[in-house]
Amino acid sequence: MNMFLHELRENRRSMMIWTISLAAVTVLFFSMYPSIEKDGDQFIKVLQNYPEGVLKALGVQINSITSLLGFYSYFFLYIMLCGAIQAMNLGTGILSKEVSGKTAEFLLTKPVTRGRIITSKMVAVLVILLITNLVFVVVSYIMANTVAANDFDTSAFFLISAANFFVQLMFAALGFFVSALFPRIRSVLPVSLGTVFAFFIISMFGSAISDEASRYITPFKYFDLPYIMKHTAYEPLFMGLGAAVIVIAVGAGSFLFMKKDIHAA
Amino acid sequence: MNVIELNQLTKRYGQSRGIEDITFSVKEGEIFGFIGPNGAGKSTTLRTLLSIIYPTSGSATIFGKDVVKHGPEIKKQIGYLPSEVFYYDKMKVKDLLKYSASFYKKDCKKRIRELAERMDLDLNKRIDDLSYGNRKKVGIVQGLLHEPKLIILDEPTGGLDPLMQQTFFELLKEENQKGATILFSSHILSEVQKMCDRVAIIKEGKLITVEKISTLQERNHKKIRIETRVPVDAGLFALDGVTKIESEAGNRISFLYSGDINLIMRRLAEIQLANLWVDEPDLEEIFLHYYEKEDVQDEHVPARA
Repeated sequence: MNMFLHELRENRRSMMIWTISLAAVTVLFFSMYPSIEKDGDQFIKVLQNYPEGVLKALGVQINSITSLLGFYSYFFLYIMLCGAIQAMNLGTGILSKEVSGKTAEFLLTKPVTRGRIITSKMVAVLVILLITNLVFVVVSYIMANTVAANDFDTSAFFLISAANFFVQLMFAALGFFVSALFPRIRSVLPVSLGTVFAFFIISMFGSAISDEASRYITPFKYFDLPYIMKHTAYEPLFMGLGAAVIVIAVGAGSFLFMKKDIHAA
Repeated sequence: MNVIELNQLTKRYGQSRGIEDITFSVKEGEIFGFIGPNGAGKSTTLRTLLSIIYPTSGSATIFGKDVVKHGPEIKKQIGYLPSEVFYYDKMKVKDLLKYSASFYKKDCKKRIRELAERMDLDLNKRIDDLSYGNRKKVGIVQGLLHEPKLIILDEPTGGLDPLMQQTFFELLKEENQKGATILFSSHILSEVQKMCDRVAIIKEGKLITVEKISTLQERNHKKIRIETRVPVDAGLFALDGVTKIESEAGNRISFLYSGDINLIMRRLAEIQLANLWVDEPDLEEIFLHYYEKEDVQDEHVPARA
């Protein structure tokens, strides 16, 4: 419990910044929605001038962009991008912050198992992500209800919103694995930014050329927003794959960390 | 009873040297010194004992339990002070110590206050505002706050001023009298001499010997250098116990001396001196000396006591 609380304390600043930023982005986008909804036809006409590939890459679905959920799922792609960076930072920080800050020695000479250290920190990451998402979803929901001209499908709305959390879990797990593999990463940000953007670009590219294979590669595509909108459900196959990615990354990362010499000084 | 036992403990880092085949043991209630030049493998040994790193082969036990298998359990009773102290920079000293105490099922508040007072440590400062010496103090309080039965110190005095060193050694002596066993690495011989009952000497990853301090002290060497007003014959110092005489222009003479200090002082008093230096020899010289005397019958304490 002490390590968990310590971890929350260490991360509270960054959690606040991320939470406020994500909430601000959703407020900003939703406040643009009424004008898009009003001049929907013109907006669509403008969009039609763009090549189809570009629209797809940007996550624009012309036939639904003027609906509230369509618009939400359009800018949600960028929410997921931010969320992924936050999650990967947290995941990578679990180990690399202790090692590069040379505080690992402090923890490892305390009467706790390495497994305990990892679980405490992971639970803290989980809680931080939950809080961030909770605030985000609540703010988004309030905004959506404020700007919506017509009723929208609440279940679909929440399913879309929750996708961010699941994508974040994948990136946090990935980050943890990377930091167990290379514990001496000095600054976490370039690593997580690099990884997240690489996956994001694969995802954009995959969308542009409608490539099915890219769906398996990048976590951003595990939750296909148009699919969720249409079926009000996640795809079981990708749910399973996502869970597998998380279990494998966390398992392998933990295994590495348990076996590894820690050179903190 | 042995608190620490190392049994052919070996740690290799790929190609580079770690420690090789280290075997010795530390008895309950002992203050045991672990001495060797920089890079000899002192930290490696201590870090292996604490299972921060894992042995390549061999084993070690603390309180009779294997350090790898029972690490967390053993560590309840260990206080450790690393050679370089690093903590969460943004925390206040107070909070860091509280965090540290939270790992032990004990109320350490009073003890923290006492220790901080004695070490003259400001509890309200942030870690990153502390000087090296003050960080070290945090490390000391952190290592002692749960009244461990075994205290492991890695080059503990670096950064502490002489007065603080004194206080720190007093603290350790008190802990020792209360029953704590202390294992203490250093490259400064005089420090170890002051504190320890026995020492293990390590060089280039290998254990050279385990000695009683009293034995080492018999061989205590002084490095004496003199400058004279007029050139003198270096042969004047051909006393028992004088080795490595070197003379430069006849008026700068240096040598190592071990034996009754009065004898050599009397001899020195006969000469017109311009200047005199008496130094503790560095470790390297001690080792050299050790090798020289290797074939002489000495009172050796067996490596496994």
